[in-house]
Amino acid sequence: MANVELVGLGKRFGATMAVSGVDLTIGHGEFMVLLGPSGCGKSTTLRMIAGLEPISEGTLRIDGREMNRVPAKDRDIAMVFQSYALYPHMSVRENMAFGLRRRSFARAEIERRVTSAAGILGLDALLDRKPHALSGGQRQRVAVGRAIVREPKVFLFDEPLSNLDAALRVSMRAELIALHRRLGCTIVYVTHDQVEAMTMGTRICVMRGGRVEQIGKPIEVYRRPANAFVARFLGNPPMNLLPVHPARREGGRTSTLVFGNTIAKGTVPPHWPADGKNVLLGVRPEDIEHAPQGVPDGRIAIQVKIETVESLGAETIIGASIAGVPTPLVARLGRDCVLAPGDETSFAFAPSAIHWFDGSSDGRLVA
Amino acid sequence: MPSGNFAIRTLKSAALFGAAALYTVYTAGPIAWIASMSLRATPDIVRAPYALPESFRFDKFVAAWTTSNYGVYFWNSAAVVCAAVAIATIVGAMAAHGLARHRFPGSRYIGLAIFSTIVFPPQITIIALFQVLVDYGLFDTLAGLTLVYVAIQLPLTIYLLEAFFARIPEALYEAARIDGYGDWEIFWRITLPVGFPAIATTIILNFIQLWNDFLYAVVLIADDDRRTLPLGIQKFMGDQMEDIGMIATGMMIAVVPVIVVYAFFSERLIQGMTAGAVK
Repeated sequence: MANVELVGLGKRFGATMAVSGVDLTIGHGEFMVLLGPSGCGKSTTLRMIAGLEPISEGTLRIDGREMNRVPAKDRDIAMVFQSYALYPHMSVRENMAFGLRRRSFARAEIERRVTSAAGILGLDALLDRKPHALSGGQRQRVAVGRAIVREPKVFLFDEPLSNLDAALRVSMRAELIALHRRLGCTIVYVTHDQVEAMTMGTRICVMRGGRVEQIGKPIEVYRRPANAFVARFLGNPPMNLLPVHPARREGGRTSTLVFGNTIAKGTVPPHWPADGKNVLLGVRPEDIEHAPQGVPDGRIAIQVKIETVESLGAETIIGASIAGVPTPLVARLGRDCVLAPGDETSFAFAPSAIHWFDGSSDGRLVA
Repeated sequence: MPSGNFAIRTLKSAALFGAAALYTVYTAGPIAWIASMSLRATPDIVRAPYALPESFRFDKFVAAWTTSNYGVYFWNSAAVVCAAVAIATIVGAMAAHGLARHRFPGSRYIGLAIFSTIVFPPQITIIALFQVLVDYGLFDTLAGLTLVYVAIQLPLTIYLLEAFFARIPEALYEAARIDGYGDWEIFWRITLPVGFPAIATTIILNFIQLWNDFLYAVVLIADDDRRTLPLGIQKFMGDQMEDIGMIATGMMIAVVPVIVVYAFFSERLIQGMTAGAVK
């Protein structure tokens, strides 16, 4: 176990800054997930921690020791690659022992560690097989086993589940969570899959364009996204972001009007940017309800026309349009939903479910 | 119409089989003819060139090996070619590893300079090589011939291996780095074993090329005791007559090591040739 500190970390490729100003502290035994879309710099950040990519600016510390110029082999880290990177000419046993042999461990100790890791990962019967004779899930386990036997200070995972099919990904996810609980190790895990991030991470770090957008516990980030990008990136279907002009000045008083509904103070930001123009109203699809019989008091009603209906069995995803609003509205309704394309009806949501964002800067407007 | 389909399929198979048989006869026929002649006496061959052996003259192989100095030529060839192939493979693999894995200032130009030498025909360089070997006291020595063989085969070796090594996933090297290995150990423990199909390919190609070399050997070797096999076969060709039977016997002796090397590495050769064709 160790803590990892990234202070103003940056990576330059020629004239392009792939990563810049990353400040992140990962505590002992923490499962930190670096999350973001392709090209956001999360893998580059991980590779800088691993020592596979030179650091252009900033400082990296592991357990307080600066690591900027320390070679990968001396950082006491282990990494699981997206492609698993198993040595194809070696058996499972040799793959797992390869790193230990280099570090001159006694043969008995190598055998003990390999046997122990194989037991944890259910690889006992496969130790003498070559990687080509293993399934994707088994290879993934071997890659994890190769990391475990090293007993490193920090485990690094670079999208390790992305090559697995959906069912296997779910089971491997659970196995990795259990493994983290069992070993209590510090893990830095890169993924673009928000479900992995939400379910596995003790904290997540959302990145975009080489910069950190938000760091926090998964549920906190989900419930209180720092900006419109994070709001849109976390959640499936993503949060609805509707352009609105909510501020109204009437008789010397400013009130907030959304789709014809006046919103009480306390759930709206005290200040609107640029006279209340260019504001994004965010509402999660699951916070929207179907209100054909009228809208309960205090709720916000919207007249919509149903465009698409996707029945997923356990739930129904509705795509709807609002007159005068270019952005479609997506709602997640129950499995008994009877709406059909072309229907005109009312949707409703509570003012407390609204997230306000500045349309220009993307930043959250705090209510 | 199942019977019609069956007839078409049979016809197609027959045409394919016929074409394959024709090609086999075309390529293997001369070898079979040489093999047949190697077991016949020259007067018999002159009388009936295409006849099968009436009696198998295995004693011709013993005679070629003992009385015609073939044993010496064979071991000269074996020593020179094995040494040259070994050096070209190791040095070529190291260079290919460096060019494939590391981008350093000028690496592209170094690669281009090496590969450009492939296009020059040997006739252009052989006079210069002769002079260099004379100047350094290496003319008419097996060491000199070995060095020349290494030099002429190295560019192709680097070219083939670099292309293969570049396709080995970078993550494999990175995993080894994290496992604690340096570049030198990674070359021996990862690049060489993983790249073995390509290495087997270059070993076979280099071996065949050098084992059959006549031009460099005839220019750079003079003494009979340092001749290689292709020069030994030439001994049976005189100005006035050719001992065609002994030439055939000599050729069969010469071809055996090539067959052995090919059989040993052929599976890897096919892997090397098809590597990257499918994921």
